[in-house]
Amino acid sequence: MKRRTHNGEETGESLAPEPRIQVRRCRKATASLVFGIGALSFLPGIGAVLAIVYGALAKREIKRDELELRGSKWATAGITLGILGIVLPLVALGLYLSSDKVRALFKEFINLRILKESMPYLLRGLLVTIKLAVVSEVCILFFGLFVALIRISRIKVLRAVAAVYIDVIRGMPLLLQIFIIYFGLGYLGLNLSRFTAGVLALTICYAAYEAEIFRAGIESIHKGQMEAARSLGMGYLKSMRYVVLPQAVRRVIPPLSNEFIALLKDTALLAVISVPEVFQRGRELMGFKANVTPLIGVAICYLIITLPLMRVVQYVEKSLSKTD
Amino acid sequence: MIRIVGLYKLFGEHEVLKGISLHVKPSEVVVVVGPSGSGKSTMLRCINGLEHASAGHIYVEGTDITDPQVDINEVRQKVGIVFQSFNLFPHLTAMHNVTLAPLKVKKMPQDEANEKALQQLDRVGLKYKADAYPAHLSGGQQQRVAIARALAMDPDVMLFDEVTSALDPELVKEVLDTMKGLAQEGMTMVVVTHEMGFAKEVGDRMIFMDEGLIVEEGKPEDVFTNPVHPRTKEFFSKILSHI
Repeated sequence: MKRRTHNGEETGESLAPEPRIQVRRCRKATASLVFGIGALSFLPGIGAVLAIVYGALAKREIKRDELELRGSKWATAGITLGILGIVLPLVALGLYLSSDKVRALFKEFINLRILKESMPYLLRGLLVTIKLAVVSEVCILFFGLFVALIRISRIKVLRAVAAVYIDVIRGMPLLLQIFIIYFGLGYLGLNLSRFTAGVLALTICYAAYEAEIFRAGIESIHKGQMEAARSLGMGYLKSMRYVVLPQAVRRVIPPLSNEFIALLKDTALLAVISVPEVFQRGRELMGFKANVTPLIGVAICYLIITLPLMRVVQYVEKSLSKTD
Repeated sequence: MIRIVGLYKLFGEHEVLKGISLHVKPSEVVVVVGPSGSGKSTMLRCINGLEHASAGHIYVEGTDITDPQVDINEVRQKVGIVFQSFNLFPHLTAMHNVTLAPLKVKKMPQDEANEKALQQLDRVGLKYKADAYPAHLSGGQQQRVAIARALAMDPDVMLFDEVTSALDPELVKEVLDTMKGLAQEGMTMVVVTHEMGFAKEVGDRMIFMDEGLIVEEGKPEDVFTNPVHPRTKEFFSKILSHI
């Protein structure tokens, strides 16, 4: 394939003198020129880089074997085109960036000064967000496991209650549940703090999902495990506690970690009941400064936590699957 | 030691056991043979309450375990069972597999439980594997740990449910030898098996079951060499033609 293009190039460029000696054109020089042309037409960016790299390599090769290789001019041309291929787009970008629209963007949206001013206030909000997520998660784990155990209990009525709870909760938006719980409890005369109401709403909602994850985990453990434990004289709860659950928990750690990340992000919904978490603070600042930049700060705050967390989940997933 | 009287078991419409009566005396080794689906395993599982009898009574050391008032967990401590599929706890080492029930059920102190577990592992020749996880043991070793685990509760009876059926042929012997040792120590055993050599050598009495009934019963050699019932004859002739 490469050889054919090379020949094609040669016949196409028949204007150039073709001395009939044992000299051949350096292929890298040809490649450089092709990429150079490409850089300005169909292959911007990467084409320019390749043109320059191949050009430089060709130059070095030609210098080493001056008698046998030619194509120095082609290489020069390729490098020049490559450089143009990089410089011209940059100039265009520069022109665009200096336009009014872009300047407005930097002023209203990515205003570094406002970003810097916003960060301390936002970071304190981030702490509230983390606290919300951690406190809720602890409640969710206990309550979710409890619901899962009821869901698989032998008593029909209990099983039905758990099933209804799980389905009803999963069938409604979390946002709606937050409103219902916060205002509903208010009418019942229960004056919970916004933070507590938030934790309660998140717990009730997420426990339904995590109960199903726990149930799937428990049911994935072979029933021979329960039988073996029962046969040794251990009661149902003891068998669950010492034999089935330890195995099930290992299996559900990856899906539960993903739920935790989702939970962390969903704490933003509590802004609707003015819990001073990071998104709520971002909104406040946005109004206060009449500028959208604080939201960029909020985005940064979430990513500081979620990006490393996703890595950790991946790592845990990998190491668990290795030992399974 | 175990007395089964008129035991029936139904799974839905399907009658698996159709009136089994059996008496197992202390230190007796009863081997149960018969074609698949004849109800051997179901009968065994009824003896420690893993399956509930549909009708009839099962007395273990005088306690009727079909009585709902009976604390089945108490009875199970006296009746050890070993399964075809080992069912070791994969998240625990061999040692912890053996100590778990003594610690949690008998509330035995840790030291005593450990000491006892090592004794039992030694008995099945696996003391040196005490810290290994089940995944790192061969099938035969896993099954021997399962035997040690059952023995750690000091049962008066041991039930074996086709314990060598899931093993590679070369691993069968080590498990059978362990069971033979137990029998020689005077353990009362009910053994569901397809290992005819073992049945003949170790069994005091052989029970042949077919379609939920005990069809024939007697000394292993007699049942084996001189079957009376046509169904038994057919079964053994089929087995023997493969040897």
